[in-house]
Amino acid sequence: MKIQAVNIHKAYGSRHKTEVLKDVSLTISKGSYTVILGASGSGKSTLLNVLFGLERCDSGSVLYDSTDITKMNDSALTAFRKEHIGFIFQQYYLLENMNVEKNVRMGADLVQNKQYHEIIEAVGLKDKLKQYPSELSGGEQQQVSIARALAKNPHVLFLDEPTGALDEQCGRQILDLDYIMRLHQERHFTILMVTHNQNIAETADTVIRMNSGRITEMIENAHPKSAYEIGW
Amino acid sequence: MKSGGNMMIALKDMKKLTTVSVIACCAVFVCSLFMNYQWDLASVEDQIVNEAGRMMFEAQIASGKVTIGVTGGCLVITSLIMLVFYIKSYIDTHGKELGILKALGYRNIQIAKHFWIFACSVCAGCGLGYAAAYFYMPTFYEIQNVEQLLPKLSVNFYPLSALYLILVPTLLFALIAIAYATLKLKHPVLDLLKNRRTGKSYRSRKENSACSFLHDLRKSTLRTKKTLVFFVAFSAFCFASMVQMSISMMDLASEEMGMMILNIGLILAFVTLLLSLSTVVKGNMKTIAMMRSFGYSDASCTKAILGGYRIFTIIGFAIGTLYQYALLKFMVSVVFANMENIPFFCSASVFYHNDHFYRCL
Repeated sequence: MKIQAVNIHKAYGSRHKTEVLKDVSLTISKGSYTVILGASGSGKSTLLNVLFGLERCDSGSVLYDSTDITKMNDSALTAFRKEHIGFIFQQYYLLENMNVEKNVRMGADLVQNKQYHEIIEAVGLKDKLKQYPSELSGGEQQQVSIARALAKNPHVLFLDEPTGALDEQCGRQILDLDYIMRLHQERHFTILMVTHNQNIAETADTVIRMNSGRITEMIENAHPKSAYEIGW
Repeated sequence: MKSGGNMMIALKDMKKLTTVSVIACCAVFVCSLFMNYQWDLASVEDQIVNEAGRMMFEAQIASGKVTIGVTGGCLVITSLIMLVFYIKSYIDTHGKELGILKALGYRNIQIAKHFWIFACSVCAGCGLGYAAAYFYMPTFYEIQNVEQLLPKLSVNFYPLSALYLILVPTLLFALIAIAYATLKLKHPVLDLLKNRRTGKSYRSRKENSACSFLHDLRKSTLRTKKTLVFFVAFSAFCFASMVQMSISMMDLASEEMGMMILNIGLILAFVTLLLSLSTVVKGNMKTIAMMRSFGYSDASCTKAILGGYRIFTIIGFAIGTLYQYALLKFMVSVVFANMENIPFFCSASVFYHNDHFYRCL
C-alpha cells in the first residue's frame, strides 16, 4: 500500500500547546522499507501513531492508496487496522497471561490465518510455543511480537524502535530476521520503522530524518546493508 | 519518608474511594437516625402509660434493632470489602513506586502506615451521614409517632453516637488499611518493581491449541484475576441484596421510611455496580487496548473480556437475593419472637391492637 501524509499537524496540551508535528508531508511507496530517523522528542513516534491511526492528527490527511483514514470513525479505523496494519512496539506489549502460541494467535485469528505455526518456527520460537512472556528473554519477546504482527498478513508493517530495549546481539538478530525480509519480498508489503539509531537507518532503502516535528531530509539508499554490516 | 509517603498516595487516589464514602454515609445516616431515636425513646419509657403506647414502644425498639443490624451490618461489610479491594488494586497498580521505596530501605510498616489516609473516605462519609441524619431527625421523629401513641419526642445530641458512628469506624478502617497494606507489601522488592505476580496458578500448561485466541483469553482473564471475579460476584451480591432490602422495606415500613430505604438501597446498588464495571474495565485495560489497536471490534473485546464474568454476576445476584431475604426473615423472627400480636415477617412493623393496625416504622 502506498501511504501519503499531507500537511499533518499535531499538538498536545490544552492551554500551553506543544506542537509535536508541524506541517509534515511525506509519501511512502508500496513495498518500500522506510526508516524515520530522529532524536528523542523529534516527533517520529507520534508521526508513526498518526500514520497507523492510533492517534488522530489536528489537521491534515493520511491516505492509504486513496483511502483517507483521518475521516474514519473509531470503528472504521479499527476495521481498517484489522485488515491492513501490523505493528511492533519497543515494549512488546505481549499478553502476560497467554503463552507464545496464543499471543501469536491474537494476530492470526483476526484474519483466520491457520499457518501461524510456520511464522513461529521462522522467527525461531518453535521450542518455546507453550512458554509465557515472563519466561522469555527480551529478544525472544520481541520475536513473539514480530510473529504476532506478521501472522495478521499485514499490508503495512510499522515498527516503533523494535530494538530499543535490546542489546546489540539481540537487536541485530531482530533486524536480520530473514523471514521478515523474505515475506517483505514475497508479499511486497510496506515496512515503516522509527528509530533513533543512525546505523539501523543504513538497512533501509528510504531514510526520512525528523527534527522538532518537521521532516528535514529524505534520502534514497541505493545499497541497503544487512544488520551485520552496520555499526551499533 | 513522610513527604515521600504522602506523595505516594495522592488526592486523586482518594477520589476513587467516593464509593466507600457513599456507602459509609448511607450506613451512618440510617444507623444515626435509629440509634438516636432509640435513645430518645428509651428516655421517655416511663412516661408511656397506655397499652397501645407500650406495644408501639416495644415494636419500634425491636424494628429499630432490625434496621440497624441489617442496614448497618450489611453496609459495614460492603464498605470494608470495597476498601480492602481498593487497597489491593492500589498496591497492584503502584507496585513500582512501592518497590522503589522498599529497595531504598523503607520497612513495610513505614510505607503501610501512610495507608491510614484511605480511612479519610470513611470519615468523610460517616461525618456527612451523621450530619444529614441530624438534619432529617425532626421529620423522622414525626413520622415515627404519626399515631400519637408515644409522648412527643425532642431530638437530643448524644456525643457517644458520634464516637460509635464516626470515630470508631474511622479508626477501625485506618487500622485495617494499614494492616492489609503491611500484609500486601510483604512481596519481594523485585516482584513489586517488575509487577510480577507471586504463585504460578495463573499459568495453565493444558491450554488447548485448538481453542481460539478469544476463547482462551476469556478463560485466562478469569484465571488470572480471581480477586476481580470475587469482586464482580460480590458487587452483584450487594446489588441484589440492596434491591431486595429496599423492596422488603417498602412492605415492612411506612411509605416514607420505605421510600427512604429504597432510595438509599438503589443508590448503593448502582454505585457498587458502577464501581465493579469500571474496575473490570480498568483491570483489563492493557489487554483491551492491545486488542483494539490490533483491530478487534468493541463487541469482540466485550465478549472476550467481560463475557466470562457473566456467570459469576448471575451467581452473585442469586445468592444476594436469597441471603437478604433469609437475613431479614431471621432478624425479624428473632427480634419479634417474644412479641404478641406481631404478624410474622411481611408485616413485622405492623401490629394490631383494639381493632386497629399500627405501623411502628
